[in-house]
Order: sequence, then structure tokens, then C-alpha cells
Amino acid sequence: MSLEEPTPEDGAVEVLPTEGDEIADLLGDLVVDREEHVNAPGFVIRPDTVQETLTRLRDEAGFDHLSCVTAEEREDRYESIYHLTSFDDRQREVSVIVPTAKDDPVSESAEPVFRTADWHEREAYDLIGIDYDDHPDLRRILLPDTWQGHPLSQNYDQDRPQIVTLKEWENPLAEDHREDEGDTMYVNIGPHHPATHGVLHVKTVLDGEQVADVDPDIGYLHRCEEQMCQTKTYRHQIMPYPDRWDYASSGLLNEWAYARAAEDLNDIEVPEYAQIIRTMGAELCRICSHMLAVGTFALDVYGDFTAIFMYAMRDREKTQNILEDLTGQRMMFNYFRLGGVVWDLPEPRDEFFELIRDFLDDLPEAVEEYHDLITSNEILQSRTIDTGVLPPEVAKSYGATGPVARGSGIDYDLRRDDPYGYYDELEWDVITEDGCDNFSRLLVRMREVEESAKIIEQCVDLLEDWPEEERNIQANVPRTLRPDDDKEIYRAVEGAKGELGIYIRADGTEKPGRFKIRSPCFSNLQTLPEMSNGEYIPDMVASLGSLDIVLGEVDR
Amino acid sequence: MIGVLKSMATTMKHALDGETFTVEYPDVAPEVSPRFRGVHKFSQERCIWCRQCENVCPNDTIQIVQDDQRNGEQYNLHIGQCIYCRLCEEVCPVDAILLTQNFEFVADTKDDFVYNKEQLKNVPWYKDIDPLNSREPDRGAWIGEGEGEVDYQ
Amino acid sequence: MLPLQSEILLPERIAGLLGLSGTVGQIVGGLLGAFLIANLLLVQTAIAGPWAKRKITAAFTDRIAVNRVGPFGLAVIIADAVRLLSKELIIPEGVDRPAYDLGPLLVPFSALLGFAVIPMGNGIHLADPETGAVFAFAASSIASLGLVMMGYASNNKYSLIGGLRAIASNIAYEIPLIVTAASVIIFTGTLQMSEIVAQQTEPLLTIAGVTVPQWFAFVNPFAFVLFVVANLAEVGRNPFDVPEAPTEIVAGYQTEYSSVYFVLIYLGEFIHIFLGGALAATLFLGGPAGPVLPGFVWFLIKIWGFYLFTQWARSAIPRLRIDQFLDVGWKGMLVLSFANLVLTAVIVGVIA
Repeated sequence: MSLEEPTPEDGAVEVLPTEGDEIADLLGDLVVDREEHVNAPGFVIRPDTVQETLTRLRDEAGFDHLSCVTAEEREDRYESIYHLTSFDDRQREVSVIVPTAKDDPVSESAEPVFRTADWHEREAYDLIGIDYDDHPDLRRILLPDTWQGHPLSQNYDQDRPQIVTLKEWENPLAEDHREDEGDTMYVNIGPHHPATHGVLHVKTVLDGEQVADVDPDIGYLHRCEEQMCQTKTYRHQIMPYPDRWDYASSGLLNEWAYARAAEDLNDIEVPEYAQIIRTMGAELCRICSHMLAVGTFALDVYGDFTAIFMYAMRDREKTQNILEDLTGQRMMFNYFRLGGVVWDLPEPRDEFFELIRDFLDDLPEAVEEYHDLITSNEILQSRTIDTGVLPPEVAKSYGATGPVARGSGIDYDLRRDDPYGYYDELEWDVITEDGCDNFSRLLVRMREVEESAKIIEQCVDLLEDWPEEERNIQANVPRTLRPDDDKEIYRAVEGAKGELGIYIRADGTEKPGRFKIRSPCFSNLQTLPEMSNGEYIPDMVASLGSLDIVLGEVDR
Repeated sequence: MIGVLKSMATTMKHALDGETFTVEYPDVAPEVSPRFRGVHKFSQERCIWCRQCENVCPNDTIQIVQDDQRNGEQYNLHIGQCIYCRLCEEVCPVDAILLTQNFEFVADTKDDFVYNKEQLKNVPWYKDIDPLNSREPDRGAWIGEGEGEVDYQ
Repeated sequence: MLPLQSEILLPERIAGLLGLSGTVGQIVGGLLGAFLIANLLLVQTAIAGPWAKRKITAAFTDRIAVNRVGPFGLAVIIADAVRLLSKELIIPEGVDRPAYDLGPLLVPFSALLGFAVIPMGNGIHLADPETGAVFAFAASSIASLGLVMMGYASNNKYSLIGGLRAIASNIAYEIPLIVTAASVIIFTGTLQMSEIVAQQTEPLLTIAGVTVPQWFAFVNPFAFVLFVVANLAEVGRNPFDVPEAPTEIVAGYQTEYSSVYFVLIYLGEFIHIFLGGALAATLFLGGPAGPVLPGFVWFLIKIWGFYLFTQWARSAIPRLRIDQFLDVGWKGMLVLSFANLVLTAVIVGVIA
């Protein structure tokens, strides 16, 4: 699975600027200053040239994926960092840094260039307080509209009571009734609704049975995860928290995101043996998570707590049993440590391998049963094929990743494109489907389960034959980690829902100066209006289910 | 139509084979793995009051009170606030704090979950299993860590 | 063995037993008979709702389900009744009061009314008017009125959508349902239920010594399938449960109902399923006819069979989208049912 070096034949294609100097040449006068991040070269630009810079990078250098927008307040300035990369070659990365003045933090919006910037900049505005010029809809996104102050800004008073006067909440339904002549109906779907997979609120305008407009309203489950991580030490204390971002059992994948970023930040080398265990655990989590996704998607389409949901749960339980034996917990694993994992495989090892192999042996039969139950069912097909269509170009612009992007035919998987762990040594395929609809996303998940099973099987083979004296589960990592001041890194892994990235800026202490989570669900959820406008209510619900969002990760 | 019939056949097959995967809790106590992390058990006899657990705890769940001679007076742990990350057990050099496999705990109010050292001592083992045995082999990784840079604070 | 179809109807027999005659006998007998049959159905619903539904669903989904209270968990019926009735009845602000209260009453009432003309075997038959079949369908359609009242009066948008969907589905599927039933009427030449049942006892053919009766499900299996499918839509079960559609519009017309009203609505729904089963049994499966066991037991087996089928479909078949649902109704079922009707009419005409 290793990435092939471009051969001379490929070289005939125009070589895109990748190195820092090449990009600097391309951007020319736009660059005010240069920075060096651990993962990518960084270019400081003026706040009024954001669109020009990003357009040039996108169109002329192929940086077509705005992975994340990080905002932070420094001692002397506000800063927005646009982490750009490419869907075709994930290892090409560039950071565009936009400092703005402390007294008047106004920066040009990137929304016209990358649609995904819409929500990311709203979040930056909400939490940090940077104003984005030219932004179509700069409102708070995670906190309520009545919130006073920006909680991640430096002079934010945490003790200030957030009093919302009665007037603000006086008849919340008043707005509900628009004009008398209107043909549309406004419906609040959620935050308490059977199909929103948590506390999501979708403001929906209906035209009869059809959806005229949807606007997802998030933030009900905002738990300040980023700020919490900023108050914990790198070495141990942050690791339990990633489990709680995407809590629907993809814990190890999340832990890996933090582990990868922090290990690269601190130059920690992970022993090969630990990498294999990590790979195996992570893929078990992926199966777990996809099972839940398939089950709940079916639930959305079928209606009641039907058979397929329970069967998916049953298979998910099996993976959870394995993970419990391995990590000691069913969902909140806290199994990874910087430099490795906390425990070797449980003794007796044979029994554990037996458990996994039994599960893998039964899996094809279980998947076959799912195909019998759902994918081959004509009614389900008629419900899902050609509904919730997300064309690849739109998906890219919104920064959709993971099964959502792969269901739109975008061949993008960080496990292959930006290899980490042990993935590049193993035989497996990236699954894509070209349908761009709900059915494709369902198929991608079901087929990815099979690929994950392949990976696990190879890991088990490797672990079984691993010489006993070389079972090194943790690298030698000092008890206290203090990365250099101003060292910045943005690293991502392929989580169950897509590209899960972590940005860390070290400030010379044992705790991160800025910790930013790029949640795949956050970007994926943003595509909901694109998929649902003009469709029927049931299709909107099915599209939401096919995005497989976990609100804990959307809101963080 | 064939797909619909296949779906119906699949569910009927499950209905007829009579297998169930749910268990009759609490009549049937579920098996938990030896590594499972449940309520803490504390041993005052072992504890050397080094306060490492208090330091490593990510969300300030453990509170230790000492007198001026640094003798331990109180050891309080809020098992309702705890996130069961097991870092306290991991960091403890003398196995004074352990996470049993006991996951069954209830209280009328949240305050009742604040366990003092006596309550922590009386937490029963789940099915009489002492999890220390199953965790023993991995302790070495911690003791030898950092080679010479070990900093017990 | 009791006769399958006695000439004496239940009210008359009760009056006879009590020694009453004339108008008084008719009134007392009718009331007592209706009371008996209604209670019979309520008992069945009690078993079907809190207990059988859970058990059946659990079997399909590999679970255990209720088994703690009483033998096989049967006492959960009492526990659930107490639990549901003791809950607070929440009446939301701004509901349209008389309509809001009447809706839940109308639904079980209409279903119970339909049972008045159903022959249940062993002389359990409340009334046998000449227009029996039409009466049963007419009575069961009153439920639509209840649904739209609930949907409209609840002052809730989900309820409104649910109510409208219920009406759309009722209109779209009632027509194929009745047209299919009409194909049976063409065979029998009468609308009287006892007559329809009696005609089905005639032997159709004899295979290896086993006589197959002239049940219309055997005579015209195609019509039977159409009838069962339209019936599923009529009672709002998967794949046609669009009016309720829990994952889309919360619970449709019943979103705002709690406590007793909730019980009434559920009662109505279950009795409707049984009425659907009873109609299918009477029109297509020879009513209470069957070998060895008494007729009434056969009747119960048939309606419970239909109930089991609805639960089976619920566990395995996804819900259609509303537009597909109406397409199937208007463009599929309606055309097929009329084709069936015309074909039946031609065949009957040729034979006659």
C-alpha cells in the first residue's frame, strides 16, 4: 500500500508546487512572512488577501481541501490558520496564517473559496471572536445567540454569569408563524427527535412534504473539549478525553488522532509491535462504529427498532467484547499512551487470538445477512438510491471526508494517503462507490467493515508470530513532556467518520497552548442542506442517518 | 420483490432458531474481562501518600488531605465524577489504589458517590476476583520508564 | 361439536337464555352481546399490545422480552395497564378541545363497530344485515375521521402532517381494498356475511382424499394478496406506516397524546389490525371454518395469524417514502384491483 513515487511518465503531468519555496514563488507578494509548522510550511498573509491566496492555492497548486480552520488569540494578535491539503495527495500540506489586529480582528472570509469555511469561521467567531468580512452568515454556532463574550479569547471572564433575560425567551414560538400567505411550514426537527442521533436541531422549512430549506443548529452537546485539553498535560491527562469526542465506540481511532499529533510534536517513535496492536484495535473500533452506523441508518429508514438494528448491535457487542478484553473498557478505552499502548495483549494470548478469529470467521456470514436484509431489499433500494445526492465537487468544497466522501467517489483515505501506524505494510483496499447517494454511503460502510476485517486478520497473524523478547509496547517517554514554545502541528488520522485532525500549538509548558479538534462530523454535517433541499422529509432523515454524525464530535 | 422476501426470510430464521443474545441481568451476572475498570478499591495500609494519583487524575476526582507531617488523613474519591481512565492505578507505585471490576453502584444523590477511604476500602471485588493478578505482567513498563529520568515528584 | 354457523344470532340467544322477548329482549340481548364481543376484543388487544407485540418483536430480534412478572411475563399486561392509566394526561396549550378529545374515542369505537357484523363461529355473531360487508368497511373507515381530528386538533405540526398522511393513505388504499373485496362479492352475489361464509364451505376440489374448501383465497389467490397488502396500509403497518413514521414525524397524529388517550389510540390501532384480520378471514379464509377445532378457535387463529404477519412485516420491511407510498396505492394497487374486479366479473359472467 505504499505510495508510489511519481514516475517520469507521471512527471509529464504538470508538477504542482509542494515545497515551501515553490509555494512562496506562486504566492509572490501575497506572502508577508514565512513560518514552519511541523507538518507543513506556513505562510503569513494579510487579512484582506485571504480569498486571493486560497483561490490561487486551490486553482494553481491543487490544494483543494480546506481541512481545518484554527483560530486563536495570541498576546499581540488574533490568528486564523487555514490548513490546506489536497484530496489527491494528502501529504502535500500548507498552512495559511492570517494574523489580525488585536483591537479590530477583521479578516476576509474564505467561504467563497471553500464552502466548508462557513461553519469553521462561524466557530472561530463564536469561540475566539474574529470577525470575517464577506461571510454570508456570521452567527454563533456552538453557543447560544445570547452568549456574552468569546470563551477562548484571552480576556474572557469565566465567572461572568450568562443571564438570559426573559424577554429573549418570551414565546419562542412567535417567530414560528411567518406571514399568513406563506405556502411553507417551519418545523423544528430536534433537538428531541427520534431521528437526529443525539441533540441536533434541524430548522426545517417544509413545502408540503418536501424540504424547502434546512439549517442544522448545533452546539447542544458542546462540552469545551478543546479547552479541557488545554488544561491537561500532554503525557497522560489528555488521552482519556478523545474517547469522548466520538463516543459511539470509535474511541481508539480518536485516541490515535491525539497520539499521532502529540508524538510527532514530541518526536516520539512508537515501537512496531505497539503500532500493530494500535492498528488492530483501531480497526476493531472502525467495525464497531460502522456497525452502529449501518444499524441506525436502517433504523431511520425502517422506522421502528427493527431486526437489522438489533443484529448490527449484536455484532457490535462482539467487537466490544474483544475491545474490553484488550483495553479494559467497552467504549471509553484510554488504551493508547504516547509512545505506544498501555497493555500488551491479554494473557492467555491464544485465547484472545481465538476470540478475534472466531469473530472474523463469523463476520462474512453476518455481513451477508445484512445484505439479505437491507441492501438487496427493493424497498430500501428505492428509498435510498438517488436520494441525498452529494456530487464529488460539492463534497470536496465542503471538506467532506471518510465514508461520506468515498460514497461520492472521492478516493481519499488517510490510512493510505498519509500512512501512519502499520497500514502501509498491510494488504487492503480503499473502498469507493460512485453513486453519491445514501445507498452508496451505506455500501461503503458495509464494505469497509470487510476491509477492516482483512486488516485485523493480518495484524493477528503478525502478533501471533511476534518474537516474545521483542514485544515492546511503549517507547521510552519521559514522564513530563515540554515541547518547544511555538511549535505547531496539524496532524490527522482516518477516524470512523473521516479525517479527524488535531492542531496543537505548544507554548513551552507541559500543557498545550491551543488545542483544536478538526471533527469529521462537523464538516460532513455541513453538507446536509446540499443533500436535502428539495427532497422529501424521509429522504432528509435518511441523508442525516447516512452522514453518520455523532453529536459529541460535532459539538465537541 | 425477491429482496423483500429474502428480508422476511432472514428475520423469520432468527425468530425460529430461538437464540437470544441479551442476558437476564441481574439474574445472570455478566462476565467482565479481567482488565475491566470499575469502582476503586483503596488500601490505606499500602498507601505511602505520595499524591501521584491526585496529580495525574485528569479531572480532579481524587482529593487527599495530609497533616503537616505529610501523614495521610483523608483519601476521597468521587466515583460519580471519575471517568475510569485508570491512570491513578497505573501511576501508583505500591498498588494502593486499584480499580475493581465492580460496576454496580447506586446512590440516591450524587453526593453519596463521594467515597472516603473507609468506603473505598470496603468496595467488594466483583465475583471475588482480584484484578491485580491479571494486570501484574504489565507493570514493568511503568517502573522502568524514562530510564534514569523517573521523576516521582 | 357446535354448528359452524347457527341460524340464531348472539343477541337472540342471550335473550332466549334470559327468557326475554320482544323489544326488551332485543335491546337487552343486543347490549349484552355487544358487551361480550367488545370485551372479547379488548382482552385480545390487551394480550396483543403489551405482551404479544413485545414477545414477537423480541423473537425476530433475538431478544428475550418481558418475562419477569407472572408466567411468561403475562402479568405485565396488568402492570402496563396500571402504569399507562396512572400517567399524567397532558393536554397541550391551544388544542382544539372537543375534537382533540373525540379523536382517540373514535378510533377504537370504529374498529369495534366493524366487528358487529363479523361471524366468529359457534354462533358468536352480533348482527347479520344484508349489507354486512359494506357495513364493516364503512365502520372501519370512520377511523380516518378520528385520525384527522387528532392530527388537526393537536396544535402540533408533526400531528398535522401525520393526520394528512393518514387521510391520504386511507383514501389511496381504501379504494383498492373495497374493490378487491367487491371481487369476492361478485362470486357470492351477496353482501351478507353469514352467506359469504356459508358459500366458502363448499368443496373446491379434492386432492388425495383431502377436500379443499372453496375459500376465496384458494379460488383467487391474487385477490387475497392484494387484499392483505391493502389491509396493511389500512392499518398503517410497515411498509406502509407513513402516517406514524416515528423517525420522520415523531409519532404522527398521536404525538401530543398521553396517558388514557394514548391507550385508547393504541387500543384502536390493535383492534383495527384484528378487524383487518377478521375481514380477510371472513372474505377469503372461510371465516371461522376449519378442521377439528371449533370454529371460534379457528377464527382466533386466523386473526392472530394476520397480526403476526403485520409484526413480521414490521421487523423486516422498510417504510416507503410518502410519494412512493401514494404511487403504489394509486398507480399500482388501484389498477391491479380493478383489473382483478373486471377479470372476476368476466369469469363469473362466463361461468354463470
